[in-house]
Amino acid sequence: MKPRALGLIARRTGRRFLSSVPALVGVVVFTFILMRVLPGDPAVFFASGPNAGKAEIEAIRSQMGLDKPMAEQLFYYVRDIGTGNLGRSLTTGQTVSKDLASRLPASLELTFVALALALTLAIPLGVLAALRPGSLVDHGVRLLCTLGVCVPTFVSGLLLIYCFYYWLGIAPDPTGRLDVFTTEPPRITGFLLIDALAAGDWEAWSAAARQLVLPAATMALFVLAPLARITRASMLAVLGSDYIRTAEGLGLSRPRIIIGYALRNGLLPVLTIAGIVFSTMLGANVLVEKVFSWPGVAAYALDALLSSDYAPVQGFVLLMATIFVIVNLTIDVLYGIADPRIGME
Amino acid sequence: MLFSRRQIAFLAAGLLASVSFLANPAAVTAQTRAETLRQVTGGMINTLDPTAPGSTRESFGLSMSTYDRLFAFDRKKNGDGWIFDFNSIRGELAESYKISEDGLKIIVTLRKDATFHDGSPVTADDVKWSLDRAVTAKSLAGPQLTTGSLDKADQFKVIDPLTIEISLPKPDRLAMPNLAVVYPIIINSKVAKQHATPEDPWAQAWLKENTAGSGAYIVESWKPGEQVVLKRNENWKSGREGKLAFFKRVIAQTIPEAATRANLVERGDADISVDLPSSDVPGLMERGKVKVVSTPQFNALTLIVFATRIPPFDNKKVRQAIAAALPYGDMFKGALFGRGNPLQNGTWNGEPSEAKFPQNMPVKTDLARAKQLLTEAGYPNGFETTFSFNVGSAATAEPMAALIKESLLKVGVKVDIQKQPDAQMSTSVTEKKLPFFTESIISWIAAPDYYFRNFFTGEQRWNYSSWNNPDINSLSQAARFETNQAKYDEIIKKMVAIEADETPVVLLWQPNQDAVMAPSIEDYTYQFHRQVDFRDMLRK
Amino acid sequence: MSNATLMRHAGFVLRSNVVTAIAAGAALLLVLTAIIGPLVIRYDPHSSNVSIALQPPSALHWFGTDQLGRDVLARVVTAARLDLAIAVLAVSLSFVVGAFIGALCGYAGGRIDRWVGRFVDVLMAFPLFVLAMAMVAALGNAVENIIYATAIINLPFYIRFARAEVNVRRGAGWVEAARASGHSHFEVVTRYLIPNVLPAMAVQISLNLGWAILNAAGLSFIGLGVTPPTPEWGIMVAEGARFITQGKWWLVGYPGLALMLTVLCFNLLGDGLRDILDPRMRQ
Repeated sequence: MKPRALGLIARRTGRRFLSSVPALVGVVVFTFILMRVLPGDPAVFFASGPNAGKAEIEAIRSQMGLDKPMAEQLFYYVRDIGTGNLGRSLTTGQTVSKDLASRLPASLELTFVALALALTLAIPLGVLAALRPGSLVDHGVRLLCTLGVCVPTFVSGLLLIYCFYYWLGIAPDPTGRLDVFTTEPPRITGFLLIDALAAGDWEAWSAAARQLVLPAATMALFVLAPLARITRASMLAVLGSDYIRTAEGLGLSRPRIIIGYALRNGLLPVLTIAGIVFSTMLGANVLVEKVFSWPGVAAYALDALLSSDYAPVQGFVLLMATIFVIVNLTIDVLYGIADPRIGME
Repeated sequence: MLFSRRQIAFLAAGLLASVSFLANPAAVTAQTRAETLRQVTGGMINTLDPTAPGSTRESFGLSMSTYDRLFAFDRKKNGDGWIFDFNSIRGELAESYKISEDGLKIIVTLRKDATFHDGSPVTADDVKWSLDRAVTAKSLAGPQLTTGSLDKADQFKVIDPLTIEISLPKPDRLAMPNLAVVYPIIINSKVAKQHATPEDPWAQAWLKENTAGSGAYIVESWKPGEQVVLKRNENWKSGREGKLAFFKRVIAQTIPEAATRANLVERGDADISVDLPSSDVPGLMERGKVKVVSTPQFNALTLIVFATRIPPFDNKKVRQAIAAALPYGDMFKGALFGRGNPLQNGTWNGEPSEAKFPQNMPVKTDLARAKQLLTEAGYPNGFETTFSFNVGSAATAEPMAALIKESLLKVGVKVDIQKQPDAQMSTSVTEKKLPFFTESIISWIAAPDYYFRNFFTGEQRWNYSSWNNPDINSLSQAARFETNQAKYDEIIKKMVAIEADETPVVLLWQPNQDAVMAPSIEDYTYQFHRQVDFRDMLRK
Repeated sequence: MSNATLMRHAGFVLRSNVVTAIAAGAALLLVLTAIIGPLVIRYDPHSSNVSIALQPPSALHWFGTDQLGRDVLARVVTAARLDLAIAVLAVSLSFVVGAFIGALCGYAGGRIDRWVGRFVDVLMAFPLFVLAMAMVAALGNAVENIIYATAIINLPFYIRFARAEVNVRRGAGWVEAARASGHSHFEVVTRYLIPNVLPAMAVQISLNLGWAILNAAGLSFIGLGVTPPTPEWGIMVAEGARFITQGKWWLVGYPGLALMLTVLCFNLLGDGLRDILDPRMRQ
């Protein structure tokens, strides 16, 4: 690719990023207000202990800055975000940025693995369905994928645990990222699979991988349908196009046409959807994290929300929104590289 | 390629070594597993300093093992298990103690050989600093210790390096128990002072994330909200009969899903869980793979509360009517699965024969009486109200609410059920906005007068029914400083009688604590803080 | 495509696509159950009887009884009405509001379009389930608040969809004609453009119906759902999940099955609709 084209993409990316800043600010303000509308008063909730009276409640309130007018609180909050300070969680007693930093890799790792699992299942299934539209295979694939979306994740998660852990005893205990008797590899990225690999610790690697299987499968089941559906649709469109007919006319072998030509072009829309699915999964895996005691960010935000602990929820939403923006940008850039016409617009 | 004999011998040795290396981990794991206690809980440990505002109950439980106090409650047999004995206090860091004739001074002699985790000796200076901190610093400890007349730093005096004198303004029967509860931890003052700042003279920020104690266990690692790993303190001297704790390692893990906790213990992967819903317990017992130690929590109490200042519940007859219309038997069976100690059907009238609280009250389900009382109160056709509970207690409160709604409808009272997130519920309770709701109370100090003072008087949150009865107000204060047992008993009986008549709350039951554990675990003890005390247990 | 050809086309798809036909039949059955079910069941879904609690399915209680001895069949059938109501109301709310705003933006363009676009960006960037949770926590867990929360988190999709569809048609001849024959902008949007994009949106609506039910179930699981003792599938599943390990499968099994079949039925119907409306996909 020519440097000029790269420069164009870079400039375009910069512009896109700047244009998403208002959305991020909007998210911050909206969350801030939403949390204050919650009827629970965190100061009251956390001032536990017998005889904790007005004085104790007031002390926590001023410690949290809740005694100031809301506009002033918002001002301080935005200023603090600028310096990277997201406040302190009352639930865990740690700073929110520290909590999020230690928990985000857990969520990301789970989501990546789940998405990879879903894609490796959905793409072949989608292609298979597209090759024989309207056939029994097509209907079968559709039914199978749709069944996955129909079961709430907390139910499929609990059922998987019941079957594979409790009943058959082949899955490890569903208690987080690593069973308690395995030593954690030295932390480099926070992704256990990568860290264990870097440390050459196969025992930890396989332990972490085993822990991932059930929660990742639970999540993958849920996103199979949209991915398979888009693969099918896009493959159908590509298979009906002129250049495939030309290739067929040239007498190229069927597998070669499908894998070499059709799939490569048909995967572009799948990539877009995968990006969207990724950000949705990351925010929506609250229930999976809860069921599998996964120390991720979503479960963290849920606990905070139920106890009206403002700072973690605000930090979580901001983090998710940022990831959403970044994922969209990445897809944009990838698209631009794959299809230079878009970049030139 | 050819090998010399030496090389072959060397290779063989190497091979053997690697084989044994391969074989060994399993053996090592098995051994450490037996010496490790793994607890799973739905709650989380959010601070290492139990006095920090916002501390969770799990943090309280942990601190029992990481810190020593001057005194500890002894334990006594209760059926097959053990329970703490409120009436028998032993020294923990205290080797011996003397109470002066007039009851105004407690003179404590410390153990000579007690050391902190860093090896330095525990001195009277450390004790003084720690108790000063408990009553002065802004923390949970202050308000609690006040209930034992401990509220000023000058009450603690160092006599010599091993002796400290505690003076009281009045002989208070609750002073000693208050020194045995969770909060008055003894901290290594030399270490703590190094981390103190002018804004934080009591090193509260540092102690939240670090420990400086002399307890039976040392914190090895702690991931807030996930798990904590403890290793045994091999120099611990404050144990019962001077013994070390049994387990070399303790892992306490947060597992939010109750069904998973039950699975873990049943499959033998975890050793103990004390917070499984009562609905799980019958099944676990039936299958018989685990041991269940059930203890009625005699220092805990589930209540149905009437707001005595909100109409129509400001009318005594209405409260009595609702109390007579509640479906006690069904609630006990359907919501609690019969796992506890119900507190109705008391056979006494007027005044109780026993000076006990809580005890069985003279109420029972009697819809005809309820109807009549409602008519007398001016509500012959009933009224409409709301009944609230928090999400955290939904497992029992939800079926309870459904039964209450159904039963009250029979006397014309229409109930709208409100289920609130925990923070919201505690806010509405504190602001005294809810007319009719359920709450659970626990009292570390299981003394009858303490219940009345803390839960039935005053303007604080724990007076759930906002009850303001002049007789109770003065009687509960009088009982606190009453040293004559017979007179004390008279006062308690009087207060119980007033409570029974006025019905500001209905005592439902004392739920069981069902500690579900591996069959190999022995000597589990039900403690006042209702958490697992790792020091008590051993593996057969 | 005229109405007649559309009907004929639909008939063709239904005949050649058995799955869609079955889904359509099931959907009809479901609506019927919701309407007349509560009238024919043998037991009161609210009346408890602790002495027969947790009984497995029998001739008397086909689906067994729950923790308080209530008939599970009666509760599952009664819940159909509420669950369908939640789904239909939430989706129609977000459809009506979303289609109107989106169509307006697509039609008008300019500053309104940009501002609404920003707002939609903000909503899209939210972790949506957490937003729903926060809203129900803030407003209280009454049925109407669950409907509002579900509607709001669906809103951005409808706005975007309607905007894109209308934007394409804005310059079409028949829109120009409608303008020229004296219709106001408002009338053009509501009487011509929205009806025109409706079929395309029907697919989304059908898929969303199932999704709305799942959303309500998820909220119930974390304690922010419908208030007891109202029968609702999600809350029944969430409560029943506690009893799985005890072998009391009917508590989670039957409401779970009802929930699953309903969502499945809406999803397959959506797929079928897509086939009917988009002949390209049909081949």
